[in-house]
Amino acid sequence: MRRLPIAALTPLTLLALLGLLAGCGATGDGVLSADTVRVAVRVDLPGIGARGPSGAVEGFDVDVARYLVGKLGKKAVFVPVTAADREKVLTSGRADMVLATFSITQDRKERVLFAGPYQLSYQDILVRRGETRIKNVRDLAGRSICEVKGSNAGQRVVEERKVAARLVPFDSYGPCMERLLSGEVDAVTTNDVILAGLAAESSGLRLVNAQFNEQRTGVGMRLGDVEGCEAVNRAITGMYQDGTAKKLLKKWFGKTDLPISTVSVPQFEGCS
Amino acid sequence: MTVVQQHPAASPTRVNVPRRLTRMTGLTLASLLVLFGLVGAAGLVAGDGMRVVGRDAGPQVLATAGLYHGLSDMDAQVADVLLMGREYGDRRAAALARYEQRRAEANQALLKAFELTGDDPAERVTIQSVLDGLGRYEWLAGRAMLLDTQAAHAAGPPPETVLKVYRQATDLMRLELMPKAYNLTLESGTIVRRTHDETGFTVRLLRDGVLAAGGLALVVLAALQVTLSRRFRRTLSPPLLTATALTLALLIAGVSALAGHSAAMDEAKQGGFDAMLTLSRARAVAGSLHADQARYLLDPDRADTYEHAFLDKSQSLVYTEGGNVEAYHATLARAKGPVRLGMLRGRAEIMKSYRRLHATDGRMRAEHTSGRRAAAVATKLGPLAEDYAALDTVLAQRGTAHRATFDRAVASGDEAMAGLWRLAPFGMAAIVALVVIGVWPRLREYR
Repeated sequence: MRRLPIAALTPLTLLALLGLLAGCGATGDGVLSADTVRVAVRVDLPGIGARGPSGAVEGFDVDVARYLVGKLGKKAVFVPVTAADREKVLTSGRADMVLATFSITQDRKERVLFAGPYQLSYQDILVRRGETRIKNVRDLAGRSICEVKGSNAGQRVVEERKVAARLVPFDSYGPCMERLLSGEVDAVTTNDVILAGLAAESSGLRLVNAQFNEQRTGVGMRLGDVEGCEAVNRAITGMYQDGTAKKLLKKWFGKTDLPISTVSVPQFEGCS
Repeated sequence: MTVVQQHPAASPTRVNVPRRLTRMTGLTLASLLVLFGLVGAAGLVAGDGMRVVGRDAGPQVLATAGLYHGLSDMDAQVADVLLMGREYGDRRAAALARYEQRRAEANQALLKAFELTGDDPAERVTIQSVLDGLGRYEWLAGRAMLLDTQAAHAAGPPPETVLKVYRQATDLMRLELMPKAYNLTLESGTIVRRTHDETGFTVRLLRDGVLAAGGLALVVLAALQVTLSRRFRRTLSPPLLTATALTLALLIAGVSALAGHSAAMDEAKQGGFDAMLTLSRARAVAGSLHADQARYLLDPDRADTYEHAFLDKSQSLVYTEGGNVEAYHATLARAKGPVRLGMLRGRAEIMKSYRRLHATDGRMRAEHTSGRRAAAVATKLGPLAEDYAALDTVLAQRGTAHRATFDRAVASGDEAMAGLWRLAPFGMAAIVALVVIGVWPRLREYR
């Protein structure tokens, strides 16, 4: 009986090793570690992220999120987010991923890890249908444009393109659209996908198709979740290769003014 | 069992000796087998990891980065050719020759990348689509250059008929082909990171297992030695003593080989691969940023878009504040000390040529916006092209240096394991033989 411990050691060592090996699959607190992924989406942008007739969120970003999270083998739960709160939902831990027309910028990369971009879009201009003098960004000089809280699009016209437009502040797109239709402001500028969705809501508006600043719309993730970011990039590649990207673009923007010419996987930002 | 029946009157102690000896020998051999198995498993995992990093992913980064560089420069040469118009005769011919050379390089890099892809279906689809797209691009670029020659325009923007075709070509290149090549480079980075982490984890675990199994084998060998010398009133058994010494040697050799391999793997990734990858990406971005300078002058309708792309790429290489190109040039010129953000952060040796490129860029844009269009084109095709060539050379040289570190680390990792593979099988066979030689004569005394 005294010999038993020694005799038992060999198989025990092996068992312990096997146990440790089996445990190496799940790591960290990234998106790959839980069964559900909380995705922050917009609820104020028709065609991208908005409440549908049933009250559920729907739109291009919502469908993309559902596809990507599905590719990771997880279930998506949606959390509403405003433009101003997109970084905060990640850092505060209220969401694991942000798909909310979140443009990748060097500045944001200090605080957010970006997978993708999953879509390239351009900054563009939305005007009243009767407006013919605005053909490109330079024609905004001296005109009034909406400056929606949390979006830097109006600022970029003035600073980056050096066009002396007059910025009129708004909290969200709703009141801005009302003033545009009533003629109190002359134009709205931001991502063309957002504008296309807004234009589709009203027959009185038109997308200029000026396409002046390239915007890379990425998946916001927590800094450090390199593994999750790489997995999302692979899923995005899959989304373009299996035709889902084209299908979703057609589904949400096919009937709008948005030109859907090039549908090809964008150049990724890289996860490290 | 048979022993017990043949000697019913024997004392209990004497009856148990052969059984105990057999069991102890069995246990010794079993623990040795576990040790050998773990050493072998660790060696296989380590060798496999190094193969993925050193022979697949490392070369794949170089192939796909070469592909990107070739593609990017093809489009840059086309832009230059169109910008030159009927002026710059010799330089136009040189740009056309370089276009042909880059085309050949891109095709070679594509073949190499395809070869290294193995059986990854997603990567294969990507490379296939780049191959298809490249054919379309060459047709469009050829047509744009033909129309341009026929137009025989002065240096600067060509007629709209040429631009229309060039826009299709450059959109195909910039928005479809180059991103795919870039993503393939990133994917190799993913493969290396995963392999490094997983191999490192498993090898460390197996090394701990080797230590435990080796310790156990030594304890059991010692116990066997003690049993033999007590029961048979002999001094130490020389074969068993040798077996013990050899086991200890094997244990030390195995653990140190694994430690050497882990160190080599870390060095290959952190000292070589990561830096190589970053520089490859930086060189790719620098190339397409330079092409944006030509496109800015070439296509007035899209000048805003190309200027924005230029600023965006510049800030991804070296981040300093600036909401527009002029502001960026100003903050870049003022910035003291190492830059904190961007792919070229902390690389003082590259900053000098990077700054010079941007200073010349500022001059070109000032000339362009003040109406001196011909001067701007001359600046682009002269000093700016030289500044870019200088920057590209520095980036390529640094990349080669990191590649050497990478190759050395991969070789030293392979060497660490090769030594173990050469000696371990003989050592293992000798240990087993010595144990049997040590015990067999004693067991025979009971037959």
